[in-house]
Amino acid sequence: MISVKNLSHSYSNDEKLAVNNISFEVTKGETFGFLGPSGAGKSTTQGILTGLLKQQRGEVIVAGYNTMKVQNERFNKIGVSFEQSNVYSKLTAKENLEFYAKLFDVPTRDPEELIRLVGLEGKEKVRAGEFSKGMKHRLTFARSMINNPELWFLDEPTTGLDPTIAATIKDIIKEQAAQGTTTFLTTHNMYIADELCDRVAFIIDGVIKLIDTPRNLKLQYGQKLIDIEYINNGKVIKETLKTIDDHDRKRIGEIVNNYDIQTMHSKEATLEEIFIQVTGRGLV
Amino acid sequence: MKLLSSYIKEMKIAARGYYFYIEIFFAILLLIILLVAVKENPISKETEFLFYDMPAEMVDAYYSASIAKGDVKAVDDTILEAKAVSFDVTDENTKEVTSYAFGDESYQFKTFEMINTKTGQLTETVYIADSEEAMIHMSYLEKKIGATMSLDANGGILYKYFTQGFETTRLKNLLYILHNESGAALKMTMDNQSVRKLGTIETLNARENMVPVFIVFMGSLMGFFIVMAYIFLDKSEGVIRAFAVTPSSVWKYLLSKTLVIMTTVAISSSVITIPVMGIQPNYLLFYLLLLISTFSFASLGLLIASFFDSISKAFGALYTIMIILMLPAFSYFLPSFDPLWLRFFPTYPLLQSFKEIIMVNTDVGYVLANSGIFLAGGLIVFLLANLRFKKTLTV
Ligand SMILES: Nc1ncnc2c1ncn2[C@@H]1O[C@H](COP(=O)(O)OP(=O)(O)OP(=O)(O)O)[C@@H](O)[C@H]1O
Ligand SMILES: [Mg+2]
Repeated sequence: MISVKNLSHSYSNDEKLAVNNISFEVTKGETFGFLGPSGAGKSTTQGILTGLLKQQRGEVIVAGYNTMKVQNERFNKIGVSFEQSNVYSKLTAKENLEFYAKLFDVPTRDPEELIRLVGLEGKEKVRAGEFSKGMKHRLTFARSMINNPELWFLDEPTTGLDPTIAATIKDIIKEQAAQGTTTFLTTHNMYIADELCDRVAFIIDGVIKLIDTPRNLKLQYGQKLIDIEYINNGKVIKETLKTIDDHDRKRIGEIVNNYDIQTMHSKEATLEEIFIQVTGRGLV
Repeated sequence: MKLLSSYIKEMKIAARGYYFYIEIFFAILLLIILLVAVKENPISKETEFLFYDMPAEMVDAYYSASIAKGDVKAVDDTILEAKAVSFDVTDENTKEVTSYAFGDESYQFKTFEMINTKTGQLTETVYIADSEEAMIHMSYLEKKIGATMSLDANGGILYKYFTQGFETTRLKNLLYILHNESGAALKMTMDNQSVRKLGTIETLNARENMVPVFIVFMGSLMGFFIVMAYIFLDKSEGVIRAFAVTPSSVWKYLLSKTLVIMTTVAISSSVITIPVMGIQPNYLLFYLLLLISTFSFASLGLLIASFFDSISKAFGALYTIMIILMLPAFSYFLPSFDPLWLRFFPTYPLLQSFKEIIMVNTDVGYVLANSGIFLAGGLIVFLLANLRFKKTLTV
């Protein structure tokens, strides 16, 4: 569905690269997570894949179309949900979707059904300008499904939503995946990636550090961790240490021998912790 | 279909925003100003050409007496150049037609100024000709009332008026009554039909003369401004990006905006033009030029908007272009200010073309030629805007 080879992008058209020589493939029906901290180059990559940014270097095939050529009809197969919601504030929720549906050449979904799906029932006739941020975000998300896309781009689909609504959105994404939709999901939320993605790519400073399934990553990097809380000079100190690392094992011994232990338990590594291990940096 | 639904959507948005109503409100306001504050014929200095068919001493005696009273002032003789022209004069009573054919002439006129004794203001300039021909020639060219005064057998004064044909019946009757006691009043009218055939320019009254300026202001300038406002609204909402990931092309998006502006301008311009001009203008030409010129200036607005990401950043460019577009209006109202460079401003030929359209004898060729130029220019600017928008969708 997506094939990216040696893609680079510089906003200033010089050596300062926002995306630096990345390559990856997304197969049909897959949910592919693009993970990285702020400024890593996630939106830049999605911008090039969706044709919003002009491609500079590298080769990109999206839904069978070479993105170097301008072929608008490819958007009949593609749905895009944006990081910042962008709907007409002067139009009602329903009008926004109805108008958008008319721009496609393929059968489209019923606007009212989509509005219900994202939990906005009863708001069909309300102008989007009167919506809260989260409601606008849901409308933008609903709009991206209007043309039954084969390939679905989601930039931070659950950011800023309350947990119940985020769960609804996650269910919709899972449901679409079950129906065979290919999804390119951009996020810096590891739990979302873990829950939804078949494979994830770690990107930082415009470079992809690794690509694998969450399961493999946990097997490979997911050695048991020990969370340990102890008292040193009257202060509670917390450390997380790996059970397979020599240095960490010595450190556990030191702590147990020298300090007053408060709590101590072992756990599985989260994707977030693996990210920190691999890239040496957190996800914020 | 996509263009139509985009257009309908844009009209909905326009109808729910301010700009559409501002434009219509301005049109109504300008119409009221035109109808209430601008008189059809402003009170201005009148001019009269006279020929006295009587001994010079009698004339001198009359003016000397008036000068003594203080309501007439003698000034230097005036020399006026008169172009070659030929026309017919019809006697309104007998329907007898006299044909005149003049060559290029230069005439000398004794000149007097009539003063309003109460206000001290100059009300009228009287030119006294040496011959009846000189009087007829000049009053025809200047479109002023002319008169010959002669003595009848009893020593009373006979008046023979030469009017232009467009004076009201009331004025004509007034002239009869005015001099009824002085015997038979002979009255002649120049045949205006032949005037038109000769290609003499029909003039507009002061109110009508304002219409082209208001049309260009409401059409070109407002179209240019409002389309930018719409684009910046969309940019701030990010909806252009959503449009860019549909199979619909950018030019349809841009054209739908332009069509909304054209609709708005067609309404606002009609609000001004139809009540003031009635059925006189050639409306086919009027709407042709109106839509084409609005398209061109809206395209210019699109192009300029593509270089900025918010209206506040675009203000400098916006003001500069608005002022450039307004400059030719000065020349329109002050014919003495008409430098050659001003003719290259796009609104200059536009003003002249709209003036042509609302006049009786429209120069269709001139208007069509300008429409063609504006259409070609507008298309080029539109294509440039399209290229720019394709490149800058993420802005
Ligand atoms: N329009 C732009 N002009 C210049 N530089 C930009 C532009 N957009 C992004 N960048 C730069 O490119 C780099 C990658 O940005 P990008 O938006 O792709 O990050 P991201 O991974 O999507 O981050 P976030 O999680 O905050 O959305 C950053 O260093 C950013 O400063
Ligand atoms: Mg981003």
